[in-house]
Amino acid sequence: MLEITLQIFRYKTGESPHYDTFTVQVAESASVLDALDVVWAKHDHSLTYRRACHHSACGVCALRINGLEKLPCVTPVSSVWDGHTPLRLNPLRNFPVVSDLIVDVTGLFQRLSASDLEITRDAEPTLPLSVDNLADLGTRMEPEPVEPPENLTRFNRFESCIECGICMSACPTVAADDKFLGPAGLAAIYDERHKTGDPREVAHLLALADGEHGVWRCHSAYECTEACPQAVDPAGKIMALRRELIANRLKKGRRK
Amino acid sequence: MASLNYPRVRRAGRWFDLRRRRMGMWAYALNRITGIGLVVYLYLHLVILSQLPGGPGSWNAFVALARSPFFLTLDVVLIAGILIHGLNGLRIALTGFGIGVKAHKILFGIVMFIAVIALGVAAVLIYGG
Repeated sequence: MLEITLQIFRYKTGESPHYDTFTVQVAESASVLDALDVVWAKHDHSLTYRRACHHSACGVCALRINGLEKLPCVTPVSSVWDGHTPLRLNPLRNFPVVSDLIVDVTGLFQRLSASDLEITRDAEPTLPLSVDNLADLGTRMEPEPVEPPENLTRFNRFESCIECGICMSACPTVAADDKFLGPAGLAAIYDERHKTGDPREVAHLLALADGEHGVWRCHSAYECTEACPQAVDPAGKIMALRRELIANRLKKGRRK
Repeated sequence: MASLNYPRVRRAGRWFDLRRRRMGMWAYALNRITGIGLVVYLYLHLVILSQLPGGPGSWNAFVALARSPFFLTLDVVLIAGILIHGLNGLRIALTGFGIGVKAHKILFGIVMFIAVIALGVAAVLIYGG
């Protein structure tokens, strides 16, 4: 077992932000999220934080561990704790803090929506389950075969972003420009642009990227790509959009 | 529910919070610092040039001051700022065109190496001349 000290950012409406310190015992293989669970269960039920999948698929638990944006569900305590300095946990940057480690991620989804990125399906396929036919549950749970798309690279890219907001927190430009589409929004535009062949839609997406708060506001810190837990590479996509925009301008210039 | 939203100026202070950040962020902060420094220098330069209409007396007094070791050191700092900002700007322009995006860290290392060599030469010329 490890005995670890956590220094956790606390904020509740009407109170001043501060840090609370907790010492907890966790298994040597524990994740930072496991340590947070112990704090909540054994020390302070008023601690608020988000958790869901526990395996880096949902992105909701994203926060800063010792200043760096990470997913605590897949971050082992042993990888970030030096053995004596308290482990400091903060909410993501560049989002309003709602309570303790929970931030309001509305801005992230607004930016993703700006690109018309499909965040959720209109209807989710459901299994015809009922307690009466549990016997054949196993066969019903068999996944239906999925036809791989022709362009597998594109398929992977679309699926990669888990909308955790880590890139928006790591980006220094988002800190100073509330309207900047940011790495998440621009990466979504790039993805959408490469999914569509409709010239009007391409023109709309490129105009969005070319706007005042688009790709040109990026100042190449590359922190988004460094911090992204899913290798989405938002900075690479921003640069690719710039390249396309510049190429288009050069083509237009030649035509004149 | 009221949320905690820090003012923009305080958030912009994070441009220079380099704790545990990676090379791209160091390059970003260096470019900001040198950029701000060069803007300040530009205005200082204009103030100094405004002494020219005062005639040879006031100008010669300034030139004597500018030859002091302190001012020569400021010259070296100025050249460091120009080299870092200019060469890093080239790197940003290249990656902004989609060239060498994956190699941006190596590019930063190369341009900073060139900056250090050029700064060394400049310092020898400034102090030696």
